[in-house]
Amino acid sequence: MAVTQGSNLASDNAAEPNTTATGKYKVTVLRDKCIGAASCVAIAPKVFALDSEQKAVIIGQDELDDVKLLAAQSCPTAAIVVTDIETGEQVWPK
Amino acid sequence: MPIQNFTARVADSTLLTDKFHYLHLELIEPKRIVFTAGQYILLSVPGTEQKKSYSIASSPEMDHAIELLIDMSPLGVGTTYINNLKLGDVVQFAAPSGQFAIAQPGTPIGDSEKALVFIATGSGITPVKSMILDQLQTRKDVRKIILHWGLRLESDLCWLDEFEELARAFPNFQFHPVLSKAEAEWPLCRGRVTDCFEIHPMVPEAGYYLCGNKQMIDDVQKFLLQKGVSNDRIHHEKFY
Repeated sequence: MAVTQGSNLASDNAAEPNTTATGKYKVTVLRDKCIGAASCVAIAPKVFALDSEQKAVIIGQDELDDVKLLAAQSCPTAAIVVTDIETGEQVWPK
Repeated sequence: MPIQNFTARVADSTLLTDKFHYLHLELIEPKRIVFTAGQYILLSVPGTEQKKSYSIASSPEMDHAIELLIDMSPLGVGTTYINNLKLGDVVQFAAPSGQFAIAQPGTPIGDSEKALVFIATGSGITPVKSMILDQLQTRKDVRKIILHWGLRLESDLCWLDEFEELARAFPNFQFHPVLSKAEAEWPLCRGRVTDCFEIHPMVPEAGYYLCGNKQMIDDVQKFLLQKGVSNDRIHHEKFY
């Protein structure tokens, strides 16, 4: 994580790279793998929501990259893919 | 509260039963944590970047440390890491996270809940314990508060003394442990936690807080809805 000790993952910090709300990470949900644990919703409610089938869906990408990555890393089934839209690289899962 | 990164030192690491491991983590940096009872941490496990979610068992009143109760039976990377932790080891986690929380008085739902009924299975007791401590000890909640806790075996039971002490100290608190594989001499409820829950009379206008396995939550939710409990007074956290 690019986050410093005790830092606030949800705050804007324009001095830091990758911390603007329109960062370079894009998240997608692998619907077949989602079990509706909702940890992503708890961490990034501006990005994820549960639909009527209790599956995670993307409702926006407007969140800090570190928060998106943490939400993906918290998923117990690794159902969230994080892609760097600048390089095309899959950041998570590795 | 926003999520922050923490480091903490293992101050106690005890296998309470064959199933449950207790961890007491003293915060190093930041030295204080602000969270809502019912929330969890995202523990970093060396060797993997995946975060493991563990609910906080301690009261938010204790802000210099957190306590966890971890079900060791999944035998995954998280439990293996925890099993090997020694006193003094430093761990890292992000917290707080989660939306499982008591509807507080002053909110429409909170004001509608004239009693609180907690139904937990296994390590689902963890956030529930934090909530009960917070309501009784810190918020001085005088509403009726009932806990149904389902486990398989008597040997799985931990924190029994603590809950019984709470029941003695706070007359508005009732504790009902229930065992699905009880020995013949077990004097209290037996069967599934839903059996125990269905035996005891319904508490009018209660808020229901469910935490544990998906099947239990689905069963209790269905039962409560059939009994006419409003869906917005049924709160849950599924453990996987």
